[in-house]
Amino acid sequence: MVNDRGQLFTIEGVAASMIMLFTTYLVLGATTVYTPGDSHISDMQLEQIGSDALNMMNTPSNCTSTSCVSQLQQIVYESDYPATNTTASINFNTTFLNYVNNRTGPISDNLHYYAVVTFRNITNPSNSNSTSSYYLASNRNLNGVEHPVRVTEWVLIGPPNFPNGINLPLNAAATPRAVLVEVLLWRD
Amino acid sequence: MAGLSDDAQWIVMMGFVVSLSFFFLALLLNQSTVVGQTTAESVLDFPKNDIRDVRSVMIQSAELLNATTNPISVSQYQTIQNDIQRLSLSEKKAVVQYQIINPSPLWLSIHYNNGVTSYNETWVSP
Repeated sequence: MVNDRGQLFTIEGVAASMIMLFTTYLVLGATTVYTPGDSHISDMQLEQIGSDALNMMNTPSNCTSTSCVSQLQQIVYESDYPATNTTASINFNTTFLNYVNNRTGPISDNLHYYAVVTFRNITNPSNSNSTSSYYLASNRNLNGVEHPVRVTEWVLIGPPNFPNGINLPLNAAATPRAVLVEVLLWRD
Repeated sequence: MAGLSDDAQWIVMMGFVVSLSFFFLALLLNQSTVVGQTTAESVLDFPKNDIRDVRSVMIQSAELLNATTNPISVSQYQTIQNDIQRLSLSEKKAVVQYQIINPSPLWLSIHYNNGVTSYNETWVSP
C-alpha cells in the first residue's frame, strides 16, 4: 500500500512550476517586441506631421474671384528649372521647417527633410510612362544612418492661375500637369 | 485525502492567489507593449492621407476640364489623368482610376487600390 501523504504538496508544486514557467515565457515574449513597437509610434507621428505640413502648404490662403494659388503650387511652378531657381527652394525650406519644427515655447523641434518633385516624362520616345525627379529643397543631406519616413503631396499646375501649365525638365512644351512632391522626413 | 491534516489549507490557497496575480500582471505587461505597436502599424498601413490627396487632385483636374471659363482641352485632361495614374503606380504603389460619369452636375467615379486597402467613391459636385 503506497502512502499518499504529501499528495497535496506535489500537486501544488507542479501547479506552481507551470505557472512560473508560463509567466517567464510571457515576460520574455514582451521584451522582444518593445523596440520595434517604439519606432512605429514615432514613424506614425512623423508621417502625420509631414502630411499635415504639406497639406497646409497646398491650401490656398487668400483667394480672389480670379485666382486661387497655394504656396506649394507657386513654389513648384517657380522651381521648374532647378538649376537656376533658388527662390523656390528657400521659400519651401522656410515654410516647411516652420510648420514641422515650431513647438510651444522657445525651443524648436529638430526635424530634417529632403524634398524632390517627381513627374512623368511624356516626351520620352521609348517609354512615355517613365518617371523622373528633380531636387526641390533640403536642409540636410541623407547620409545613411537616418531612419526617414516618406510623405507626399499631389500638386496640380494648370489654369486659371497658370494658364500655360508648367514646363518640366525633359518635356518639350509647357502644359497643365500633375506632379508629386515627395519629402523624406527624419528627426535627429 | 485520507489521514492528511488540513490545517494549512489557507497557506496553499494564498500561494495560488499570489502566483495567479503574478501571472495576471505578466499578461498585462505582455499586452501593453504590443498595444502601441499594433495601433501605430494599423495607422501606418491605412493610406488615409494618400486617398485624401489623390482624390483631391482628381477632383481638381475634372473641375478644370468642366470649368465654364477657359477649360483645359481633352488631351490636356488626359495628360493630367495619365500623370496621376502612372505616378501613383510607380511612386505610391497604388492603382488608381477615375472617370467623369456626368459633366453637369459633375459626377466622378473614383477608385483606389494599393493591394491592402481598396477605396471606391462616386463624387458628386456640391
